[in-house]
Amino acid sequence: MTTIGFLARRVLAALALVFVATSGALLLAQLAPGDYASQFGRDQAQVAAERHRLGLDLPVAQQYARWLKRSLTLDLGESFQYQRPVTALVAERAWNTALLAATSLAVATLLGIPWGIVTGSRRGVLIRALRGVSLLFLSIPPLISSLTMLAVAARTGWLPVSGMGGVSHLVVPTLALALPIAAILERLQAQSIGDALATPMALSARARGISRRRIVWRHAWRQSLGPILAIYGVIVGTLFSGSFAVEIVTSWPGLGDLMRQALLTRDTYLVAGCAAAGAAFLAAGVLLGDVLHAVVDPRVGGA
Amino acid sequence: MARYLRFHILLLAIAAASACHRSAPGAASPAGGPARGGSLTASLRSEPPTFNRFAPTAAQAPVDAVARLTQATLVRVNRLTGDPEPWLAERWTTSADGRTLTFTLRDGVAFSDGVPFTSEDVLFSFRALYDPSVGSVLASGVMVQGKPLQIAAPDARTVVVTLPAPFAPGAALLDNVPIYPKHLLQAALDAHTFAAAWGVTTPPATMAGLGPFVVSEYVPGQRLTLARNPHYWRRDAAGVALPYLDRIVVEFVKGQDAEMLRLEAGSIDLMTQADVAPENISSLRRLRDRGALQIAEPGVSVDPILLWFNLTAAAAAKNAQARPYLQRTEFRQAISYAIDRDAIVNTLYLGAAVPVYGPVTPGNRTWYADSAPKYPHDPARAAALLAGLGLTDRNGDGALEDAAGRPVRFSILTQGNHIRGRTAAMVQEQLRTAGIAVDLVELDPPSLFGRFGSGDYDAICYGLQTSAFDPALNLDFWLSSGSNHVWNPEQKTPATPWERAIDDLMQKQAAAPALAERQRLFAEVQRLFGENLPGIYLVSPKVTIAMSRRVGGAVPVLLDPKILWQADSLYAK
Repeated sequence: MTTIGFLARRVLAALALVFVATSGALLLAQLAPGDYASQFGRDQAQVAAERHRLGLDLPVAQQYARWLKRSLTLDLGESFQYQRPVTALVAERAWNTALLAATSLAVATLLGIPWGIVTGSRRGVLIRALRGVSLLFLSIPPLISSLTMLAVAARTGWLPVSGMGGVSHLVVPTLALALPIAAILERLQAQSIGDALATPMALSARARGISRRRIVWRHAWRQSLGPILAIYGVIVGTLFSGSFAVEIVTSWPGLGDLMRQALLTRDTYLVAGCAAAGAAFLAAGVLLGDVLHAVVDPRVGGA
Repeated sequence: MARYLRFHILLLAIAAASACHRSAPGAASPAGGPARGGSLTASLRSEPPTFNRFAPTAAQAPVDAVARLTQATLVRVNRLTGDPEPWLAERWTTSADGRTLTFTLRDGVAFSDGVPFTSEDVLFSFRALYDPSVGSVLASGVMVQGKPLQIAAPDARTVVVTLPAPFAPGAALLDNVPIYPKHLLQAALDAHTFAAAWGVTTPPATMAGLGPFVVSEYVPGQRLTLARNPHYWRRDAAGVALPYLDRIVVEFVKGQDAEMLRLEAGSIDLMTQADVAPENISSLRRLRDRGALQIAEPGVSVDPILLWFNLTAAAAAKNAQARPYLQRTEFRQAISYAIDRDAIVNTLYLGAAVPVYGPVTPGNRTWYADSAPKYPHDPARAAALLAGLGLTDRNGDGALEDAAGRPVRFSILTQGNHIRGRTAAMVQEQLRTAGIAVDLVELDPPSLFGRFGSGDYDAICYGLQTSAFDPALNLDFWLSSGSNHVWNPEQKTPATPWERAIDDLMQKQAAAPALAERQRLFAEVQRLFGENLPGIYLVSPKVTIAMSRRVGGAVPVLLDPKILWQADSLYAK
């Protein structure tokens, strides 16, 4: 198969993922009990009028068909509560989510890769301690770590406890998201560099008198990069689409916060829009992972 | 070592950057009192979906809070006393029959864009309020006996309001109607686009109001910045132009816990929905004792938690064969006796609540009738009432059965992840010891409202919010035709004699001019309610309000917005 064919297949799979996730989210939100118009204290005539205004009195299949037709032109409908186009609302928040995810990814990469190289290429008490720390980060869910850091931030006053503002507001959510990923990268990198150092090439280089440091940082590291790149895309996708819990805990105004609000008010088109953005991030990440994997291992692209 | 130094420098830089976002102090007052200038930061748990209080999507506390900061009404109900007081209208007179109110508008008042305010703006606002194309959520609350008020403007400073029938609260009705600028919104009303006007993306420069602040900047998901209205019309006793503050920054902070953390960290000064969860009160008191915060306790909330049964005709028909007791007053009385409210207060609210037995709590001092029936915890009396209905433990398993041997069982719907849900769980446990099985169903609000709307429930444990002290302003709850008459809403004719009696008493009460007579009639309503118990009231929290030490001039009250109702008199210390 050609590279173009490989890419086309992956792009189609990504689009299918976005479509299925979005349609699923919309239909589930519509089928859930209650709707945007229902409230205590609202008389039945008011509720009926509001349902009619919003098109909620139509059968679910008809609502879905109308939404589907509009979505072909990238019109994802209008949010009931904000009275604004869903695409505009989602775009504003997606940027915030992307900022948080990109920062977290950079921190995780800059921390996790060197950390893994060190723990994979050396021995000793300090290295065992570093591995222990890595396991600790790996086992603490971001939700718990963000809550802990928020409590510390509130008690010490060192950092803003929530919200979005200057660079300082990024610290708590970024660390909450980045530390477990850094730990994953450390584990993978340590394993991979250990394997690379055990190859005949590395052993013969050592026998020729090349320093261990040079072998690790110039040769073995490059060789060990393949497995990391192969899953990097998946990590990117997961990070961009999976930061919702941390966003909610830290009041970061991203897609997670918007999705929660949309779900709580049965703002169905907004639910679908948020799901579309999350799925698009995930699909893009998986696509990137596939491409990177194909780059480091041409057998994948040609499979 | 150098690396550690760099790390500490980084931390200091971050802390300094963080400090830059905190509120600014006002200029020092020479007399030590309030000074103009500075800003305060308030939190809001959800974003206002619109800046238009008349919009169909405006039935939310955030829209009301922002409207009270940016708009003004002819008359304001003083949240402390419950009495209407002159606001945009400097005075008013009431005709002998109580149906005609003549308002004289203040002279020299202008909107924030400098355009003078006249009676034409009042006429326009009421036209928009009642216009069917707007579909305002406020309209039904500004009617008397389901009919709109008639508004006339004989001259630029006079407005005549004619009520369809005598209505004792009179001018207080107008506390809910912000006056919008005709010169900016007339075109939208004529084009039937008023409902969508002044959304959150509307450029601030194209909006204007008569409130103390104007919208300066809106950052989606983050904050709303309100700046001083340069044309605001109020002055303090010393003649200083209000508001004192240059700015109020409203940060959108989702959730009470996040709000508490930010208050503790000093990044917000006050909470718009200002109540504090019981579990946070002790830590806040410690912070107050250390001088980090100030706490106010204005009294017992007027929004109690209640349990009501589905008393609709459809539910009665459905339960007629298997569970007829669910419609019986004696069953509800037995449930009320079986509930240990003191245990709920002490366990769940850690003492920060009081037991209540009816919709009017001791926090509503003018209207609370202590003589209304009470149901203190009395398991023996509960058992006797249940036995009277034929519900006894027939097989010795500790649970009650009816004459056919079916277990006594019903479900309670409640709001999950909320103190209402935890209260319902305690009720479930207490009723289990009384031999009654309760299935607790925790739902999110839309699901709960959906089940309520379709009548698909046995009982609901929830809290109904009161927007006013005066019961005549809550007729939607008391009258059998009301949509908030939750146990059996929107009845064509009263389903029971006691509901008919309450309807008559409330109509008389709403029309009676003398307060003492109104109080007497309403005490009778509370007695009837307590005897027939359509809703089993459980507890009402003691309201605790926490603010930073920087907040000056606050007069915390029980009704929302508990601090910002007096926003023009707040100042930054």
